[in-house]
Amino acid sequence: METAKKAGAATDAALRCGEGAGSLPGVCAPLAFPYIPMQENDPPRYSQNDAMRAGTLFPGLDLPFHKEIRSRFPNADPALTELMALDFAIQELGLYLTTHADDREALELYWSYIRLGKQGREKYVEQYGPLCLTDVTPGSFKWLNDPWPWDLGGND
Amino acid sequence: MFVYEKKLQYPVKIATPNPKLAAVIISQYGGPDGELGASMRYLSQRFSMPYPELKGLLTDIGTEELGHLEMVGAIIHQLTRDLNDEQIRTAGFDAYFVDRTTGVYPTAASGFPWSAASMAVKGDVIADLTEDLAAEQKARVTYDNILRLSDDPDVNDVIKFLREREIVHFQRFGEGLRLAKEKMNAKNVYYLNPSFD
Repeated sequence: METAKKAGAATDAALRCGEGAGSLPGVCAPLAFPYIPMQENDPPRYSQNDAMRAGTLFPGLDLPFHKEIRSRFPNADPALTELMALDFAIQELGLYLTTHADDREALELYWSYIRLGKQGREKYVEQYGPLCLTDVTPGSFKWLNDPWPWDLGGND
Repeated sequence: MFVYEKKLQYPVKIATPNPKLAAVIISQYGGPDGELGASMRYLSQRFSMPYPELKGLLTDIGTEELGHLEMVGAIIHQLTRDLNDEQIRTAGFDAYFVDRTTGVYPTAASGFPWSAASMAVKGDVIADLTEDLAAEQKARVTYDNILRLSDDPDVNDVIKFLREREIVHFQRFGEGLRLAKEKMNAKNVYYLNPSFD
Protein backbone atom coordinates (compact mmCIF):
# COMPACT_ATOMS: atom_id res chain seq x y z
CA MET A 1 0.00 0.00 0.00
CA GLU A 2 1.15 3.47 -0.75
CA THR A 3 1.34 6.16 1.82
CA ALA A 4 -0.20 9.41 0.60
CA LYS A 5 2.55 11.83 -0.28
CA LYS A 6 0.40 14.87 -0.91
CA ALA A 7 0.80 18.19 0.85
CA GLY A 8 -0.03 17.75 4.48
CA ALA A 9 1.13 14.15 4.64
CA ALA A 10 4.02 13.74 7.03
CA THR A 11 7.43 12.42 6.17
CA ASP A 12 8.84 9.80 8.50
CA ALA A 13 11.59 12.25 9.43
CA ALA A 14 9.02 14.54 11.06
CA LEU A 15 8.15 11.78 13.54
CA ARG A 16 10.61 11.32 16.34
CA CYS A 17 9.47 7.78 17.13
CA GLY A 18 8.60 6.43 13.65
CA GLU A 19 5.07 5.70 12.42
CA GLY A 20 4.57 2.51 14.43
CA ALA A 21 5.74 3.94 17.77
CA GLY A 22 4.72 6.86 19.98
CA SER A 23 5.77 9.04 22.86
CA LEU A 24 5.58 8.10 26.54
CA PRO A 25 5.88 10.71 29.30
CA GLY A 26 9.62 10.85 29.90
CA VAL A 27 11.92 8.01 30.88
CA CYS A 28 10.12 7.33 34.16
CA ALA A 29 6.36 7.04 34.55
CA PRO A 30 4.22 6.74 37.68
CA LEU A 31 3.24 3.27 38.86
CA ALA A 32 -0.26 1.76 38.74
CA PHE A 33 -1.38 3.54 35.59
CA PRO A 34 -1.75 2.03 32.12
CA TYR A 35 0.06 3.78 29.28
CA ILE A 36 -0.62 3.72 25.59
CA PRO A 37 1.97 5.76 23.64
CA MET A 38 0.51 8.93 22.11
CA GLN A 39 0.51 8.73 18.33
CA GLU A 40 2.72 11.60 17.21
CA ASN A 41 1.34 14.61 15.37
CA ASP A 42 0.96 14.58 11.61
CA PRO A 43 1.53 10.82 11.22
CA PRO A 44 1.93 9.19 7.76
CA ARG A 45 -1.40 8.43 6.11
CA TYR A 46 -2.73 6.02 3.50
CA SER A 47 -4.63 7.18 0.45
CA GLN A 48 -8.41 7.04 0.93
CA ASN A 49 -8.88 3.70 -0.83
CA ASP A 50 -5.92 2.12 0.94
CA ALA A 51 -7.35 3.35 4.24
CA MET A 52 -10.60 1.47 3.49
CA ARG A 53 -8.60 -1.63 2.60
CA ALA A 54 -6.61 -1.43 5.83
CA GLY A 55 -9.50 -0.33 8.08
CA THR A 56 -7.40 2.63 9.24
CA LEU A 57 -6.00 5.80 7.71
CA PHE A 58 -2.72 5.29 9.57
CA PRO A 59 -0.05 2.76 8.45
CA GLY A 60 1.34 2.79 12.00
CA LEU A 61 -1.91 1.33 13.35
CA ASP A 62 -2.36 -1.20 10.54
CA LEU A 63 -1.79 -4.46 12.46
CA PRO A 64 -3.43 -7.37 10.59
CA PHE A 65 -4.27 -10.89 11.83
CA HIS A 66 -2.61 -13.86 10.14
CA LYS A 67 -5.95 -15.27 8.92
CA GLU A 68 -6.92 -12.07 7.17
CA ILE A 69 -7.55 -11.96 3.45
CA ARG A 70 -6.58 -9.26 1.03
CA SER A 71 -9.26 -6.57 1.02
CA ARG A 72 -11.61 -6.45 -1.95
CA PHE A 73 -12.41 -2.76 -1.62
CA PRO A 74 -13.80 -1.17 -3.75
CA ASN A 75 -16.20 -4.03 -4.47
CA ALA A 76 -19.38 -2.06 -5.03
CA ASP A 77 -20.82 0.92 -6.87
CA PRO A 78 -17.96 3.37 -7.65
CA ALA A 79 -19.88 6.54 -6.74
CA LEU A 80 -20.89 5.02 -3.40
CA THR A 81 -17.49 3.57 -2.55
CA GLU A 82 -15.78 6.84 -3.42
CA LEU A 83 -18.06 8.62 -0.96
CA MET A 84 -17.53 5.87 1.64
CA ALA A 85 -13.76 6.19 1.33
CA LEU A 86 -13.88 9.96 1.68
CA ASP A 87 -16.28 9.77 4.64
CA PHE A 88 -14.04 7.17 6.27
CA ALA A 89 -10.99 9.42 5.97
CA ILE A 90 -13.05 12.23 7.50
CA GLN A 91 -14.24 10.00 10.34
CA GLU A 92 -10.74 8.68 11.06
CA LEU A 93 -9.25 12.20 11.09
CA GLY A 94 -12.07 13.47 13.30
CA LEU A 95 -11.43 10.68 15.80
CA TYR A 96 -7.68 11.37 15.65
CA LEU A 97 -8.35 15.07 16.32
CA THR A 98 -10.28 14.29 19.51
CA THR A 99 -6.96 13.24 21.06
CA HIS A 100 -4.72 15.50 18.91
CA ALA A 101 -6.62 18.79 18.88
CA ASP A 102 -3.38 20.75 18.38
CA ASP A 103 -2.36 19.00 15.12
CA ARG A 104 -2.83 21.87 12.67
CA GLU A 105 -1.82 19.82 9.58
CA ALA A 106 -4.41 17.15 10.34
CA LEU A 107 -7.07 19.79 11.00
CA GLU A 108 -6.43 21.51 7.66
CA LEU A 109 -6.64 18.17 5.87
CA TYR A 110 -9.80 17.29 7.81
CA TRP A 111 -11.49 20.49 6.71
CA SER A 112 -10.39 20.09 3.10
CA TYR A 113 -11.86 16.56 3.04
CA ILE A 114 -15.10 17.84 4.54
CA ARG A 115 -15.37 20.50 1.82
CA LEU A 116 -14.73 17.85 -0.83
CA GLY A 117 -17.28 15.59 0.86
CA LYS A 118 -19.99 18.24 0.66
CA GLN A 119 -19.64 18.46 -3.13
CA GLY A 120 -19.47 14.67 -3.45
CA ARG A 121 -22.65 14.20 -1.44
CA GLU A 122 -24.59 16.70 -3.51
CA LYS A 123 -23.59 14.91 -6.70
CA TYR A 124 -24.39 11.53 -5.20
CA VAL A 125 -27.82 12.60 -3.95
CA GLU A 126 -28.69 14.10 -7.33
CA GLN A 127 -27.79 10.88 -9.15
CA TYR A 128 -28.77 8.12 -6.73
CA GLY A 129 -31.21 9.51 -4.18
CA PRO A 130 -31.12 10.80 -0.63
CA LEU A 131 -28.53 9.88 2.00
CA CYS A 132 -30.53 11.64 4.71
CA LEU A 133 -34.27 11.96 5.15
CA THR A 134 -33.85 15.73 4.84
CA ASP A 135 -32.02 15.65 1.47
CA VAL A 136 -34.08 17.50 -1.13
CA THR A 137 -34.50 15.35 -4.24
CA PRO A 138 -35.93 16.60 -7.53
CA GLY A 139 -39.41 15.42 -8.51
CA SER A 140 -40.51 13.09 -5.75
CA PHE A 141 -39.95 11.69 -2.27
CA LYS A 142 -37.25 9.08 -2.83
CA TRP A 143 -36.25 8.23 0.75
CA LEU A 144 -38.23 4.99 0.77
CA ASN A 145 -36.76 3.62 -2.44
CA ASP A 146 -35.28 0.11 -2.20
CA PRO A 147 -32.70 -1.21 -1.73
CA TRP A 148 -31.77 -0.15 1.80
CA PRO A 149 -28.11 -0.37 2.80
CA TRP A 150 -28.40 -3.78 4.48
CA ASP A 151 -30.18 -5.43 1.56
CA LEU A 152 -28.33 -7.41 -1.06
CA GLY A 153 -27.72 -4.86 -3.78
CA GLY A 154 -27.85 -2.02 -1.27
CA ASN A 155 -24.23 -1.25 -2.05
CA ASP A 156 -24.34 -1.78 -5.83
CA MET B 1 -29.59 13.69 18.72
CA PHE B 2 -28.91 11.19 15.99
CA VAL B 3 -29.67 11.37 12.28
CA TYR B 4 -29.64 8.29 10.08
CA GLU B 5 -27.52 8.21 6.95
CA LYS B 6 -28.74 5.74 4.33
CA LYS B 7 -25.41 4.04 3.65
CA LEU B 8 -23.05 1.64 5.40
CA GLN B 9 -19.59 2.61 6.62
CA TYR B 10 -18.10 -0.19 4.49
CA PRO B 11 -19.96 -2.16 1.79
CA VAL B 12 -21.54 -5.52 2.67
CA LYS B 13 -22.15 -7.81 -0.32
CA ILE B 14 -22.51 -11.49 0.57
CA ALA B 15 -22.89 -13.70 -2.53
CA THR B 16 -23.61 -17.02 -0.80
CA PRO B 17 -26.12 -17.55 2.02
CA ASN B 18 -24.66 -19.50 4.94
CA PRO B 19 -26.94 -19.83 7.99
CA LYS B 20 -24.36 -21.72 10.03
CA LEU B 21 -21.92 -18.83 9.73
CA ALA B 22 -24.70 -16.33 10.56
CA ALA B 23 -25.33 -18.23 13.80
CA VAL B 24 -21.72 -17.54 14.82
CA ILE B 25 -21.44 -13.94 13.62
CA ILE B 26 -24.62 -12.98 15.52
CA SER B 27 -22.37 -12.76 18.59
CA GLN B 28 -20.92 -9.51 17.28
CA TYR B 29 -24.49 -8.18 17.03
CA GLY B 30 -25.72 -9.04 20.51
CA GLY B 31 -23.03 -11.05 22.26
CA PRO B 32 -20.91 -10.09 25.29
CA ASP B 33 -18.30 -8.21 23.23
CA GLY B 34 -20.53 -7.22 20.33
CA GLU B 35 -21.30 -3.91 18.70
CA LEU B 36 -24.59 -3.28 20.54
CA GLY B 37 -22.81 -3.51 23.90
CA ALA B 38 -19.99 -1.35 22.56
CA SER B 39 -22.28 1.48 21.50
CA MET B 40 -24.35 1.32 24.72
CA ARG B 41 -21.19 1.25 26.85
CA TYR B 42 -19.60 4.32 25.25
CA LEU B 43 -22.74 6.35 24.68
CA SER B 44 -23.71 5.78 28.33
CA GLN B 45 -20.28 6.33 29.89
CA ARG B 46 -19.91 9.72 28.24
CA PHE B 47 -22.47 11.42 30.50
CA SER B 48 -20.21 11.26 33.54
CA MET B 49 -16.98 12.15 31.73
CA PRO B 50 -15.48 15.36 33.16
CA TYR B 51 -13.17 16.34 30.26
CA PRO B 52 -14.15 17.46 26.75
CA GLU B 53 -11.69 15.11 24.98
CA LEU B 54 -13.35 12.15 26.67
CA LYS B 55 -16.89 13.35 25.94
CA GLY B 56 -15.84 13.67 22.30
CA LEU B 57 -14.07 10.33 22.17
CA LEU B 58 -16.96 8.35 23.65
CA THR B 59 -19.53 10.13 21.48
CA ASP B 60 -17.48 9.57 18.33
CA ILE B 61 -16.59 5.92 18.94
CA GLY B 62 -20.04 5.08 20.38
CA THR B 63 -21.62 6.45 17.21
CA GLU B 64 -19.22 4.56 14.94
CA GLU B 65 -20.12 1.35 16.81
CA LEU B 66 -23.79 1.91 15.88
CA GLY B 67 -22.61 1.91 12.27
CA HIS B 68 -20.78 -1.36 12.94
CA LEU B 69 -23.92 -2.83 14.49
CA GLU B 70 -25.68 -2.05 11.22
CA MET B 71 -22.90 -3.72 9.20
CA VAL B 72 -22.99 -6.90 11.31
CA GLY B 73 -26.79 -6.93 11.01
CA ALA B 74 -26.41 -6.60 7.22
CA ILE B 75 -24.04 -9.61 7.17
CA ILE B 76 -26.55 -11.73 9.16
CA HIS B 77 -29.45 -10.56 6.98
CA GLN B 78 -27.64 -11.41 3.75
CA LEU B 79 -26.28 -14.74 5.02
CA THR B 80 -29.82 -15.91 5.89
CA ARG B 81 -31.71 -14.89 2.75
CA ASP B 82 -33.63 -17.32 0.50
CA LEU B 83 -33.08 -20.34 2.75
CA ASN B 84 -34.51 -23.71 1.71
CA ASP B 85 -35.90 -26.38 4.07
CA GLU B 86 -32.58 -28.13 4.26
CA GLN B 87 -30.70 -24.93 5.12
CA ILE B 88 -33.00 -23.97 8.00
CA ARG B 89 -32.25 -27.39 9.53
CA THR B 90 -28.51 -26.60 9.52
CA ALA B 91 -27.03 -27.60 12.83
CA GLY B 92 -26.26 -24.42 14.73
CA PHE B 93 -28.92 -22.35 12.94
CA ASP B 94 -32.05 -24.46 13.64
CA ALA B 95 -32.19 -23.33 17.29
CA TYR B 96 -32.04 -19.67 16.22
CA PHE B 97 -34.57 -20.19 13.43
CA VAL B 98 -37.25 -21.71 15.64
CA ASP B 99 -37.33 -18.57 17.81
CA ARG B 100 -36.52 -15.75 15.38
CA THR B 101 -37.09 -17.12 11.86
CA THR B 102 -34.61 -14.94 9.90
CA GLY B 103 -35.10 -11.81 11.96
CA VAL B 104 -31.93 -10.24 13.34
CA TYR B 105 -32.06 -10.46 17.14
CA PRO B 106 -29.33 -9.26 19.54
CA THR B 107 -28.08 -12.47 21.08
CA ALA B 108 -24.78 -14.21 21.70
CA ALA B 109 -23.91 -17.21 19.53
CA SER B 110 -24.53 -19.30 22.67
CA GLY B 111 -28.22 -18.22 22.58
CA PHE B 112 -27.91 -15.91 25.58
CA PRO B 113 -29.84 -12.72 24.69
CA TRP B 114 -27.99 -9.38 24.79
CA SER B 115 -27.52 -8.28 28.35
CA ALA B 116 -26.43 -4.98 29.86
CA ALA B 117 -24.53 -7.20 32.30
CA SER B 118 -21.92 -7.65 29.56
CA MET B 119 -20.93 -3.97 29.74
CA ALA B 120 -20.10 -1.54 32.52
CA VAL B 121 -20.57 2.11 33.45
CA LYS B 122 -18.66 2.80 36.66
CA GLY B 123 -18.84 6.61 36.68
CA ASP B 124 -15.08 6.89 37.16
CA VAL B 125 -12.66 8.07 34.48
CA ILE B 126 -9.89 5.51 34.96
CA ALA B 127 -12.21 2.56 35.60
CA ASP B 128 -14.42 3.32 32.59
CA LEU B 129 -11.58 3.93 30.14
CA THR B 130 -9.74 0.81 31.30
CA GLU B 131 -12.96 -1.12 30.71
CA ASP B 132 -13.10 0.36 27.21
CA LEU B 133 -9.53 -0.71 26.44
CA ALA B 134 -10.39 -4.28 27.48
CA ALA B 135 -13.66 -4.17 25.54
CA GLU B 136 -11.87 -3.24 22.31
CA GLN B 137 -9.43 -6.11 22.81
CA LYS B 138 -12.25 -8.60 23.45
CA ALA B 139 -14.08 -7.47 20.33
CA ARG B 140 -10.82 -7.77 18.37
CA VAL B 141 -10.39 -11.38 19.56
CA THR B 142 -13.99 -12.21 18.61
CA TYR B 143 -13.30 -10.94 15.08
CA ASP B 144 -10.04 -12.96 15.02
CA ASN B 145 -12.08 -16.03 15.98
CA ILE B 146 -14.67 -15.33 13.28
CA LEU B 147 -11.81 -15.16 10.76
CA ARG B 148 -10.70 -18.59 11.98
CA LEU B 149 -14.22 -20.02 11.63
CA SER B 150 -15.21 -18.48 8.30
CA ASP B 151 -13.84 -19.15 4.84
CA ASP B 152 -16.30 -16.89 3.04
CA PRO B 153 -14.24 -14.11 1.40
CA ASP B 154 -17.24 -11.74 1.19
CA VAL B 155 -17.76 -12.02 4.94
CA ASN B 156 -14.08 -11.94 5.86
CA ASP B 157 -13.53 -8.78 3.83
CA VAL B 158 -15.96 -6.93 6.13
CA ILE B 159 -14.81 -8.67 9.33
CA LYS B 160 -11.23 -7.66 8.61
CA PHE B 161 -12.30 -4.01 8.39
CA LEU B 162 -14.28 -4.20 11.65
CA ARG B 163 -11.40 -5.92 13.42
CA GLU B 164 -8.95 -3.18 12.51
CA ARG B 165 -11.34 -0.54 13.87
CA GLU B 166 -11.04 -2.18 17.31
CA ILE B 167 -7.27 -1.63 17.23
CA VAL B 168 -7.66 2.04 16.27
CA HIS B 169 -10.26 2.54 19.04
CA PHE B 170 -7.95 0.86 21.56
CA GLN B 171 -5.23 3.35 20.62
CA ARG B 172 -7.59 6.33 20.96
CA PHE B 173 -8.97 5.21 24.34
CA GLY B 174 -5.39 4.84 25.56
CA GLU B 175 -4.63 8.35 24.36
CA GLY B 176 -7.79 9.58 26.09
CA LEU B 177 -6.55 8.06 29.32
CA ARG B 178 -3.22 9.84 28.88
CA LEU B 179 -4.92 13.19 28.24
CA ALA B 180 -7.13 12.65 31.30
CA LYS B 181 -4.13 11.87 33.47
CA GLU B 182 -2.57 15.23 32.67
CA LYS B 183 -5.60 16.88 34.25
CA MET B 184 -5.62 14.75 37.39
CA ASN B 185 -3.63 15.01 40.61
CA ALA B 186 -0.01 14.65 39.47
CA LYS B 187 1.14 12.76 42.58
CA ASN B 188 -1.84 10.45 43.00
CA VAL B 189 -4.41 9.94 40.24
CA TYR B 190 -6.57 7.99 42.68
CA TYR B 191 -6.84 10.87 45.16
CA LEU B 192 -10.33 11.64 43.94
CA ASN B 193 -12.75 10.74 41.17
CA PRO B 194 -13.00 13.73 38.80
CA SER B 195 -16.32 12.37 37.51
CA PHE B 196 -17.84 12.87 40.97
CA ASP B 197 -15.71 14.85 43.42
